[in-house]
Amino acid sequence: MIVETGHFALVLAFVLALIQSVVPVWGAVTDDRRLMQTAAPVANVLFVLVTLSFAALTWAYLASDFSVVNVWENSHSAKPLIFKISGVWGNHEGSMLLWVLILVMFGSLVALFSGNVPAQLRAAVLGVQGWITAAFLLFVLATSNPFERIVNAPIEGNDLNPLLQDIGLAIHPPLLYLGYVGFSITFSFAVAALILGRIDAAWARWVRPWALLAWVFLTLGISMGSYWAYYELGWGGWWFWDPVENASFMPWLAGTALLHSAIVMEKREALKVWTVLLAIFTFSLSLLGTFLVRSGVLTSVHAFAVDPERGLFILVILCIFIGGSFTLYAWRAPLLKQGGLFAPISREGALVLNNLFLTAATVSVLVGTLYPLALEAVTGEKISVGAPFFNLTFGPLMIPLLLAVPFGPLLAWKRGDLLAATQRLYAAFGLALVAALAVFWLWGMKQVLAPIGVGLAVWIMAGSIAELVTRTRIGEVGLSRGLSRLVGLPRSAFGTTLGHFGIGVTLLGIVMSSAFQTELVRTVRPGDTFDVADYQLSFSGLAPRQGPNFTEQVGHFTVRQGGTEVGVLDPSKRLYQARGMPTTEAAILTFGFSQLYVSLGETRADGAADIRAYYKPMITLIWLGTLVMSIGGIISITDRRLRVGAPKPARAKIAGLSPAE
Amino acid sequence: MTLWILFALMTGLAALSILVPLRRGGDPLTAASANRAADEAVYMAQLDEIDRDLQRGLVDAAQADAARTEIARRLLAAHRQNKGETRTVGTRAAKFVQLLASLLLPAAALGLYLWLGSPHQPDQPLEARLQSDPQGQPVDVLVARVERHLAANPQDGQGWEVLAPVYMSLGRPQDAAQAYANAIRLNGASEPRESSYGEALVVAAEGLVTAEARAAFDRAVKLDPAAPKPRFFLALALGQEGKREEAIAAWRSLLEGADPRAIWVPAAEQELAQLEGRLPASLQPPRGPAAADVEAAAALSEGDRNDMIRSMVDGLKTRLETEGGSAEDWLRLIRAQAVMGDKDAARASAAGAREALQDDAAALDALNRAEADNGLGS
Repeated sequence: MIVETGHFALVLAFVLALIQSVVPVWGAVTDDRRLMQTAAPVANVLFVLVTLSFAALTWAYLASDFSVVNVWENSHSAKPLIFKISGVWGNHEGSMLLWVLILVMFGSLVALFSGNVPAQLRAAVLGVQGWITAAFLLFVLATSNPFERIVNAPIEGNDLNPLLQDIGLAIHPPLLYLGYVGFSITFSFAVAALILGRIDAAWARWVRPWALLAWVFLTLGISMGSYWAYYELGWGGWWFWDPVENASFMPWLAGTALLHSAIVMEKREALKVWTVLLAIFTFSLSLLGTFLVRSGVLTSVHAFAVDPERGLFILVILCIFIGGSFTLYAWRAPLLKQGGLFAPISREGALVLNNLFLTAATVSVLVGTLYPLALEAVTGEKISVGAPFFNLTFGPLMIPLLLAVPFGPLLAWKRGDLLAATQRLYAAFGLALVAALAVFWLWGMKQVLAPIGVGLAVWIMAGSIAELVTRTRIGEVGLSRGLSRLVGLPRSAFGTTLGHFGIGVTLLGIVMSSAFQTELVRTVRPGDTFDVADYQLSFSGLAPRQGPNFTEQVGHFTVRQGGTEVGVLDPSKRLYQARGMPTTEAAILTFGFSQLYVSLGETRADGAADIRAYYKPMITLIWLGTLVMSIGGIISITDRRLRVGAPKPARAKIAGLSPAE
Repeated sequence: MTLWILFALMTGLAALSILVPLRRGGDPLTAASANRAADEAVYMAQLDEIDRDLQRGLVDAAQADAARTEIARRLLAAHRQNKGETRTVGTRAAKFVQLLASLLLPAAALGLYLWLGSPHQPDQPLEARLQSDPQGQPVDVLVARVERHLAANPQDGQGWEVLAPVYMSLGRPQDAAQAYANAIRLNGASEPRESSYGEALVVAAEGLVTAEARAAFDRAVKLDPAAPKPRFFLALALGQEGKREEAIAAWRSLLEGADPRAIWVPAAEQELAQLEGRLPASLQPPRGPAAADVEAAAALSEGDRNDMIRSMVDGLKTRLETEGGSAEDWLRLIRAQAVMGDKDAARASAAGAREALQDDAAALDALNRAEADNGLGS
């Protein structure tokens, strides 16, 4: 009964979503207030229905109800509780249901927190959300129904892919989906503006927090996925330029651009039409990512089942939404009023530069991801576009952008003074130079690029703090006044600083861990002792161990530094019985920001084992940096002041500039 | 019944989410005027914000003035366009949507659900299935119950003893071997337990008598030197190890004192015949049939056995014709057909092989030789 209730709730939600996609938009276009009023309550009920449905499926997993095909295919009665819950979305059908659940949750949030949005805009936004919801519910019901039943229920399930039996599955997909789907809100706002042919004064004020929220989740989701791959796959790599990773990275890049252009729009009413385009572009990339991952075009741990029918279905959804919204843009964007003007050297100008580079970087990743797929589809030839391509395209685009990051916040709105901004950055530049020289002095010519990378990272970190220091005017007003000014600064200023600082932290982690890592691949026998960087590892042998639904061989290493024991490493190789599938579990010891990493390869009958051991200096900074960025984003969301960018008044007459508007 | 009440409640909630807002009145302003009013409110709030920023020292007076000028200009523009129009609400669209919510929504949801769903299928949580009356339950549920009981009481030797043969009959020899091993550990060694343990290992190894299985049969023979089963498998092991003379001796001694009606006798005789070279080698599959198959073949009558062999040959033929195969497979088919006396079929197969293997000179040579050997000269 519970399962069937969940199934009915899903069907009902689909029909209701169809109504939501018509009635409020109809009301908005014909100016019928009553029809517009239905938008918010329907959005809330949709959320309730899909939540019921998701809860029913979760119950089926918890109770091991193998009369549900989806549970039978992906669960096992002996699985630990946490994986029974996360297993709900550890498969194609369940993950699509989670996708829809998050979609209607965002719709409901818009309904609840848009009291001050004009009714017409709100109805159109929720109507557009209704289109997306209806399309994806149709997809779920038609090709990926998680509630299909078996008449003669088997007594045991097939278990979840062992690679996914990890705490990472409980965190990574929900975060990533919150990011992907969060951009549907900005998309809906953009399409609503195009339908209504006007952008309200507060449009950007409503859009920016949603973009920021989605961006924070996407940042955390990607970062978590990267860390998961790092410790689970056992190669010690954290980013592979794999198409599935790119699929999440592209919306992130476009979303970062959106975030910055929305600032210009909110504060200066400029870049309106461009922001609308970026919002469409970002969500289109989210849909593309969903398509690439869910259609089975790519084979990876993410593509749970390959089914051409599903791929075609998502492709059709993709084409309708992307094609439709860009057509709408081409048709309606000329109706939208252009915003204020600004000089090239100004905060607005810096943000346009940011947008140009980020968009170009997105396109380079897009080409690198889609070109091999297109080539394979047309000629059948398989090519692999890997790190070299991205290092040559994405890298050169990032370097000028990262160099420019500290300048942006120091320029005034409307017309800025590059020289004055440079002067404020002398200290940051000095620090960066010192750091680069220190790295060069310590390691010499061994790693030529490392000093440059470290210098760049320090430049960004110091530069982002320089902006805060400048705004407190500590130099002019003294320490105590300066500190009180610091406390008085708006939270969004701290958000900017943390966001930019986090980029520097991540960059530092990337440079240090890739330039100075130690890698060792060898066979060890019980009693062997060997060095990895400054650490001595002693291998005392392998021992079998029994887990709830797997057996494992655990290697035991004692780690010493200068004779004193500093920890133990117990990497293992597991065999999951239900699928007879092996996995490796790397063992990691963290010292400060650096990590010692050991994973087991083949084990021999005589007790010897092949191992990979790494020492990765400062590697955790990669993920800590993303945490810093996300905290910056959250702080910025909590700042709900109206943002007004006060322009720098023109001193004398500056030719060629008309006032804003 | 409860199910349909729940469905009705959910449908009612969905319908009300449309019907209730349709009846509410609300702001009589036109959308255009309401939008302008909202814009004005935003600009007014921005002017206030500038004052606050100025007080906190975030902007200086000159910047504040410049910002105020810009905003005031936008405020004026919005105010000028706001005509404050009001209008009455039409009812026709609302009526239509009311119909949509109260008729189409329930009908479409129910129709779609009846097409996709299984309203009569109850939930089947595993726990409840294992707790329910064992009468009339399928065997896998019963097995799961015993498994759970044994997981909780792993020292129950009787339980393992009951479960082991069930595993064998379900085709889970690996589990059966484990269960017999547990039974031996808990209830002590005996000839039937050791023999059955060994047999399970042999079936799990697809007919191969492994060292572990051999050790089990050795122990069983020690416990009861006259028992035929362990001796049968020990003889089989000798044959598999290539100790032909010893194997022949073992089979002979086994058959000597045997009851000729015993179910295993024909299989033993066949093994013996094979070792003595009385059976065409072409019928010997590469690694010897699985012990279970041999036993099954032994239990059949002569006619049935021929049918079984014929069906195996036909299976091979179909596979080669549809999917193709190696030269060896073709040769095996041709030899088998020749031995069974069906020379026409063998010739047809040879022609097929020639076509399939036309690029393989070595295979064609072998084919020619096989034709000559089997008297299929064309």
